[in-house]
This record gives sequence, structure tokens and C-alpha cells, in this order.
Amino acid sequence: MQHKTVSELHDLLVSKTITPTELVNESLKLAKKYSSLNCFNFIDEERALTKAKTSLFDPSNPLSCIPVAHKDLFCIKGMQTTCSSKILDGYLPPFTATVVQNLDKVGCITIAKTNMDEFAMGSSNETSYFGNVHNPWLKNHVPGGSSGGAAASVSSGIVPLATGTDTGGSIRQPAALCNLTGLKPTYGRISRWGMIAFASSLDQAGPIAHTAKDCAIALDAMTGHDCKDTTSLAMGPTKAFNSIEVFSKDKTLGIVKEFSDQLSHDMEKAFQESINTYKQLGYKIKEISLPNIKYSVPTYYVIAPAECSSNLSRFDGVRFGLRSKDVKNLEELYINSRSEGFGNEVKRRILIGTYVLSAGYYDAYYKKAQQVRRLITSEFKNAFEQCDLILTPTSPGTAFAFDSKGSKDPTELYLEDLFTIAANLAGIPAISVPQKFVNGLPSGHQLIAPHLHEESILQTAHHFQLNTDWHLRTPQMEEFA
Amino acid sequence: MDKETVRTICYLSRLSLSEDGAKNMETDLDTILSMIDQLQEIDTSNIEPMFSPLEQTAIIHDDEVNSDNQKDAYLDQAPESDSNFFRVPKVVE
Repeated sequence: MQHKTVSELHDLLVSKTITPTELVNESLKLAKKYSSLNCFNFIDEERALTKAKTSLFDPSNPLSCIPVAHKDLFCIKGMQTTCSSKILDGYLPPFTATVVQNLDKVGCITIAKTNMDEFAMGSSNETSYFGNVHNPWLKNHVPGGSSGGAAASVSSGIVPLATGTDTGGSIRQPAALCNLTGLKPTYGRISRWGMIAFASSLDQAGPIAHTAKDCAIALDAMTGHDCKDTTSLAMGPTKAFNSIEVFSKDKTLGIVKEFSDQLSHDMEKAFQESINTYKQLGYKIKEISLPNIKYSVPTYYVIAPAECSSNLSRFDGVRFGLRSKDVKNLEELYINSRSEGFGNEVKRRILIGTYVLSAGYYDAYYKKAQQVRRLITSEFKNAFEQCDLILTPTSPGTAFAFDSKGSKDPTELYLEDLFTIAANLAGIPAISVPQKFVNGLPSGHQLIAPHLHEESILQTAHHFQLNTDWHLRTPQMEEFA
Repeated sequence: MDKETVRTICYLSRLSLSEDGAKNMETDLDTILSMIDQLQEIDTSNIEPMFSPLEQTAIIHDDEVNSDNQKDAYLDQAPESDSNFFRVPKVVE
């Protein structure tokens, strides 16, 4: 059952080849067998088995009795939720995030909470308080981040589907590095209620799975209006699964001129092969220009830290989470609890955020970045008048070794998100799709669509996957057993 | 980014750093700020800032009581509480 897709497992449940309990048991067994991957912060064996035993399998529902893992920033009532931070170690939320409730409603069975970069701040899963996650394709290499544990848990075949969140590429980049399909929907599609905030105007939840078809199934269950999130779009759930087989050969894919010299020779070759595949499938390819897209990384590193410095002010040692023992007064309680509880990368981003929001710098940095954000967004609008979707690489390289990037210069790691960040700034949907391997490791390309056009990128990605087999490759895993 | 600025933003953020930590942070923040400074190359006069990708007005719903008072559940998660309150060190001398 290892490495089977959601759709394949559903068929096995329908034909009664396996029972829900057998499926959940197998998933839990694999989670233990591959514990050295370190992809889980918490495994809830008891709750998962109880749900499997008491669930009535619904053959009309493609997610019924499917084991899933949730990124450890989705609150689940009574289940440890930490954001991979010391400051939340042992925190038991009194409520469950809407997205988890939505997946529960269609019968998904939660197996575990996945490891991640602390508060989702990172692109390599190396900032987690609970340690690095290994890439199932190569030990001591990063799975990408921040949803690194989510990607590793699906790539290793422990679960067929995991939830992630994407603030600047945190679903798409780990999906690319682990040979998976990862979707960041339109901002507002999926409720953020109960999802611990990093940068509220950029954060969006989404699925990580083997195929675009599985992402469509998950998206339909995860979306829908939620009155508890004021930025939730007033629309019903998507119906992406029903339309996944609709292929329009008239689609034009835009290739971004400004990205043309950003790849190594080998990565460029892999990307070119994806372009050729789309051409062979009948898609038109057109060069487009997004003149200010090169500024998306600096724009992001003003906006995201600014919003994080505000969001993370709630961690004060008073109402929940870690409280420093060594304090003489209330001020020290705040300072010591936060200083002991947050890791280095989180502190860096809070400080940058505080700086760009502080008196005298607000206009030069924060307002400026929001103006550039509008420029980048309007360039996307213009581009979508010339093409239906935009096709880019997902990340500049493949999985890299632990401690090899960003330890001396933090901005080196920030460039991992060069191709993904702009979609968050504009709030538009994007997907990462596995493509030709580079030096034995997975790589991915990205399809970006205008607002609310998730169905279009899922159809196109599915069309690609029906004609390629990169997404079917699975890692050996011997060194982790 | 000088020592004094790092100290000020640390205080505004309610964070403290060791001496070595503060030195490393100075270098890191300098590197990040010079990356961010690229934004100054762009002419943004007459461009409205875009604070959210969703330029819809927040949806307002009726103010109805719709869940039980969960006071105990929330107080259970507090590091220290006393009857109906979160407990903190003495504020007024």
C-alpha cells in the first residue's frame, strides 16, 4: 500500500481488498519504520485507530478513510500543536482548524502532525526545534520547507496526502524537492481559521500529494467559505475533481523572460524538457515579461517579517506556551519567555519586521514594498492577457545537503523561493509538478494561474502527468528503515 | 545597522540577545537590509500600496452567541492561572 495515491487507495477500499483499519495500521507501521526521517512531531496512533475502527466507509467519497498528516501549525483540539517551536512545546489547542474539520467531515483519518520550519519560516526544514527532516530521496539532504515534514511523509509513502501551508513557496518547493505535486490555492480559498499565522496576507493552506488528481480531490474538500476567517472568499467549495479530465489544447503557457538566466545548465535542461512535453501535447508557448518580478524576494522580506512581527507578539508567556521561570517582573516575563522560546530565524524575522515598521522607516520599507507588490500584481494581470497560465521552474536547484545553504548568509536560502514568492504576493494559485530528474534528484516546474483558476492548473498538470511518469517514481528508502 | 539600533528593535520586539548573539544579528540584519534596499531602485510614485491580495471588504456577520463559554479550556493552557484569571508577576508596587 506504500506509495499508492489517494485514488488508488480509494479503489482498494471500494473493492474491499483492504479495510480502513488495515490501511491505517499500515500507515502507522510505516511511520514507525521510517522514524529516522523525523517527518512527524507527533503520531496519534490511538485516535487514528479508533477512528478507523468506528468509521463507516463511504464509497461515494474519494477521501473516505484515507490516512492524512497535518502540518504542525493546524490546531487540532487536544492534540499537540507546536509549529516546531519551543515556545509551543506541549501546547494542546482547545479548538480544531476549519481545514482539518473539513477533511475530518469527508472521512480523512489524521495519523500525525508533521515537522516543519519553526513557524513556517524557512525553505529547508532546518529551523525546526525538533530537528532536521531528511529528504526520502537522499539522507542528510533537505526535503525543502517550510512544509518539509509534510512532503517527506508523502514522498516516503507513509501517507498519500498531507496538508501544508505556503507563504512564499512552502508547499511548492518541498513538493519539487521530494517529487510530489503541491498546490497553493488562491488567497482566501481555504480558511485560515485555526492555522497558526505567520504572514496573514500571504499564508494559504493547500495539499501535497503524488498527483494533480489527488490535489484536486483534496482541494474540493478543503475549500469553502468560513465566517470565522474574514478573508475567506464568499464562495462554495471548488469542484476541481469533476473537471480534471477537461483538456483544452488551445491554452497558451507563458514563459517568463526575466527567469531565463536563473538556472544551472542541468536544471535548465530539465525545464526545457517540460516545455517540450507541453508543446507536444498541443499547448502554445509564448515568452512574456514580468519586469519587476526580480524584486519579489526583497518585497517579500519586508512584508512577511512585518506581518510576522505583529502576529508573533501574541506569544508572551501569559496565556499559553512557554513561560520563562527566571523572571522578576512582567516585562522580564515577556522578554525572557520570547527569547528562550523562539529560535534564531524567527528572531531575525521579528527584528526585521519591527525595524521596517518602526517610526521613520515605515514609508521607506513597508509602504514601498506594498507599492511594489501592486506593480508585480498588475504585471501578472497584463501577462494573463497574453497567456492562460505561466510556466516557470519551481526552485533554482534540487535538494541540497544539511547546513550547506544560509548558515553564513541568511539571504542565500531566501533565494530558494525566487520563482514561487510572486504568486503569494499577488494571491494567485500555483502548482508544482514533478519533471525530469537532475543528477538523480527530483525537480519540478510550476504552473501559475489568474485568481480562482485552480481548475485550469490542475487540468494542465494532470494532462502532463498522463503523458509523463516522473511523478510515479518513488524513493528507495533503504537507508531509513 | 549599529549596536544601538539592534538594541532598540530588540526592546521593541521584547527580545534579548547575548553579546555574541547581538553581534551576529547585526551582521545578519545588515545583509538582509541590503537585499531589501534593492526596492529603492524602483519608481513607485503614484502607486497605491497593496496591503492584501484580497481587496474585498471584510464580510460582516451577525453578532450572535454561538458557542459555549470555553473559559476553563483556555485557562487550562495558561502557564499559571488563579480562579478565573491568568496569573502574572505583580505589576503595581
